[in-house]
Amino acid sequence: MNTIKYAQRYYLLLVRVFIVILALPFHSASTSSAASEISIHSWDQKEISVIRSLWIGSLPPLPKDPSNAFADNPAAIALGKRFFFDSRFSGNLKVSCATCHRPDMSFTDDLPLAHGIGSNTRRSMPLLGVAYNTWFFWDGRKDSLWSQALGPLESNVEHGFTRTSCAYLITRNYRHEYEAIFGQIPDIKNAVASPATKDIIALKTWVSMTPAQRDEVNRIYANMGKAIAAYVRTIVPGPSRFDMYAKALIDNDTTILSKTLTPDEVQGLRLFIGKAKCTNCHNGSLFTNSDFHNTGVPTPPKMPRDSGRADGIRKVLADEFNCLGKYSDAGSGECAELRYLDTNTTKYSGAFKTPTLRNIAQRAPYMHAGQFQTLREVLEFYRKSDSHELGHSELSDKELGQLEVFLHTLSGPVIAN
Amino acid sequence: MRTILLTIFLVLSPIAVFAAHTGHSEDGQHTKHYEQSLFKMTDNGLYSVEMVIKDKDLKVGVNTLDIIVHDKSDKDVAGAVIKVVPWMPEMGHGVFEKPVVKERGGGTYSIENIILIMEGRWELRLKIKNNNTEDSVIFDFPDVIRSASMSQDEHKMMHSSAPADVDTSTARESVKKLFRASYASDVTPIPVGRIISWKVRVETADGSPVKNAEVVLSGEMPEHGHGLPTMPEVTEGAIPGEYIVQGLKFSMPGWWVMTFKVKTQDKEDVITFNLIVP
Repeated sequence: MNTIKYAQRYYLLLVRVFIVILALPFHSASTSSAASEISIHSWDQKEISVIRSLWIGSLPPLPKDPSNAFADNPAAIALGKRFFFDSRFSGNLKVSCATCHRPDMSFTDDLPLAHGIGSNTRRSMPLLGVAYNTWFFWDGRKDSLWSQALGPLESNVEHGFTRTSCAYLITRNYRHEYEAIFGQIPDIKNAVASPATKDIIALKTWVSMTPAQRDEVNRIYANMGKAIAAYVRTIVPGPSRFDMYAKALIDNDTTILSKTLTPDEVQGLRLFIGKAKCTNCHNGSLFTNSDFHNTGVPTPPKMPRDSGRADGIRKVLADEFNCLGKYSDAGSGECAELRYLDTNTTKYSGAFKTPTLRNIAQRAPYMHAGQFQTLREVLEFYRKSDSHELGHSELSDKELGQLEVFLHTLSGPVIAN
Repeated sequence: MRTILLTIFLVLSPIAVFAAHTGHSEDGQHTKHYEQSLFKMTDNGLYSVEMVIKDKDLKVGVNTLDIIVHDKSDKDVAGAVIKVVPWMPEMGHGVFEKPVVKERGGGTYSIENIILIMEGRWELRLKIKNNNTEDSVIFDFPDVIRSASMSQDEHKMMHSSAPADVDTSTARESVKKLFRASYASDVTPIPVGRIISWKVRVETADGSPVKNAEVVLSGEMPEHGHGLPTMPEVTEGAIPGEYIVQGLKFSMPGWWVMTFKVKTQDKEDVITFNLIVP
C-alpha cells in the first residue's frame, strides 16, 4: 500500500518536473515577446488620461432635457418608438423616421444625401448617442431632440407631411396611448395645414384656423416630438474594441492589451491623440466636441453653397419649438445654451457639426453631404488641407493607414430600447 | 569714392557695413549704423544696442533680427553672451521656443527663431553678459500684428502647446495696474462642453472693491485661433466688487486666455488670465 503511494508521489513529482521543464522555454519566449509588446502598449500618464476621457466608461449618464418633461417616461419611450417606425406619418405613406435612420446602420443610412419623399441637400445624421448633443442637425438649428424630431415631418423632401395631419392621425390611431401620457386629446379635423411648409395651400389653411385650433395642433405635435425624443434618447453606443483596450489600460491589465488591438491599431490611437491632433475636435467618449467648424469640405457639384451653422443660429432663435418657446417644459433659467448662444454668424459661416466617430467605419459615405466615400478619402482630405488647424502634410501613408485601422476599432453594438 | 564703395558694401553685405559709421545716436556718443533701426542704451548704461529687424517690423510668426552691441566707449563688443526673451507683459507669458543667438563678428549678433505666437504688445528682453559685467535692456513693441502671409510651417511652429512659463494664477493685476481681479469657477476642475459660472472680484490697486463697473469678458485659444463657443454675460453681484459671469463654456481642453475689460466712470483697464482646461 505504502509502496504504491510512494510510487504515485514519485510519479506525480516526475510529471511536475517534466511540466516545468516543458514550460520553461515557452515561458521565457513568451516573456520576451511580451516585453516588446509592452513597449507598444506603454503610455504616459497624460496619454492614459486622454484615452480614459475617450473611453465609453467615461460617458456620463444621459443629460437631463428640462424642455421635455417626458424624456425618460417609459410609456413615452414606447409610444415614441411606434411613431419612429410608423410610415403613415408621411405624404406617400412610405417614409418613417427609420427610413433614413435605419437600425441596421447605426440609425443612419448609406446615402450621400438623405432621401425621403425627395432628395435632401445634406446627409442623414447618425442617432448614436444623439441625446448628448446640445444642438441638433448638421447646422444645429434645433436645441432639443424633441424639437429636432419635428423638422423632418414637415419637410417637403423628407416626410412631406403637416403637423395638423400628424395630430389628426394621433387622435385616430394613438388616442389611448397618447392620453395616458399627455392627458386628454381634443378632436382634430383632418387638414393639410402647417406654418412651416413650402405648400402654399397648407399655409393658407393654417392661417385660417383659429389661434386656439392652431395651439391644440401645436401642442399635440410638440408632444409627438417629445415621445419620439424619449425613444431616440435610448439609442446609445455599446463598448467597442477600443473601449476594451482603454479599460485594460486603466486597469493596468497588460495581458489583455496585445489581445485587443493590433500594433497598427495601437499606433493609430497614438497618432489620433498625438501628432494627428484628431482629439482637438473629436474628444470625449463620443469623439465629438459638439461644436461647429468649417473644415473646408467641398460643396458637392451642382449644389449651392451651404452656409451651415450661420443659418442654423438664425433658425434656432426664430424657432417656435425652442427651449424658451411656449411648448417647452423648461423654466426660463434652464435654457442657458440658447440664452448664451454665440450669434457670430461670420465665425460660423459654412460650419457644420463635428459628428461622433463611434461606429464611423460602418457609416460611409462621410461629411455633411456624403462628399467622401471612404475613411481613407476623409483622412487624405485632412492631410492635404491647407488650413493651419487641419493640414497634416507630415503624416506618411503608413500613418494614415494606421489612423484608418484605428477608426475601425471604434465600432461596437448599438443599444436601443 | 567712399560713398560709392559704401553703397556697394551696403548692397553686398549688410553685416560688413557695420564698420562704416553712418550717423550718431541721440546721446551723440554712440554710433548708429542704420536709419531704420531701433537704438537703446542698456539699463545701467554699459552697452548700446542697435536693433535691425529683417522684415522691418516684428510680426506674429517667425522673426529674425540683428543687434549691434557697443560698449561705453562705442567699441564693438565681441564674445558677449546674449539672452533674448520675448514676453507679453499684459498676458504674463512668453513663447514656446527659445530664440537662437549667433555672433557674427564686429559686435553684431543675429537672433533667429523669435516665434511670436499672438497679436498684441510684446517685449524683447535682452541680457548682455561680457567679461563679468552684465546689463539688460527691454525693447517694446506695442502693436505686433499678424503678417498677411504666414506659411503652414510657420503656423505649426507657433502652435505646439502652452508656453512653459505661462502664468495661470487666478488673481492678477490689470495691464495699467489700475485694478486687481481674481476669479473662482462654480465647477472645478473646469469642465469641457458644459455651461458654468464664474465669480470675479474686482478691486482697485489699494484693495477697495470696484463697484458699478462695466465688465466684458472674452476668451481665446491662442494655439487654435478661436474663441469661446458661447457669449457669456457679466453682471454685478450682490457683494460690492463682485461680478458674476454666466453662460461660460469651454469647447476644448488646453490653453485659454481670458480677457476682462473693466470700465468705471473714470478708469478703464484690461485684466488677462491664463487658464489650462484639463
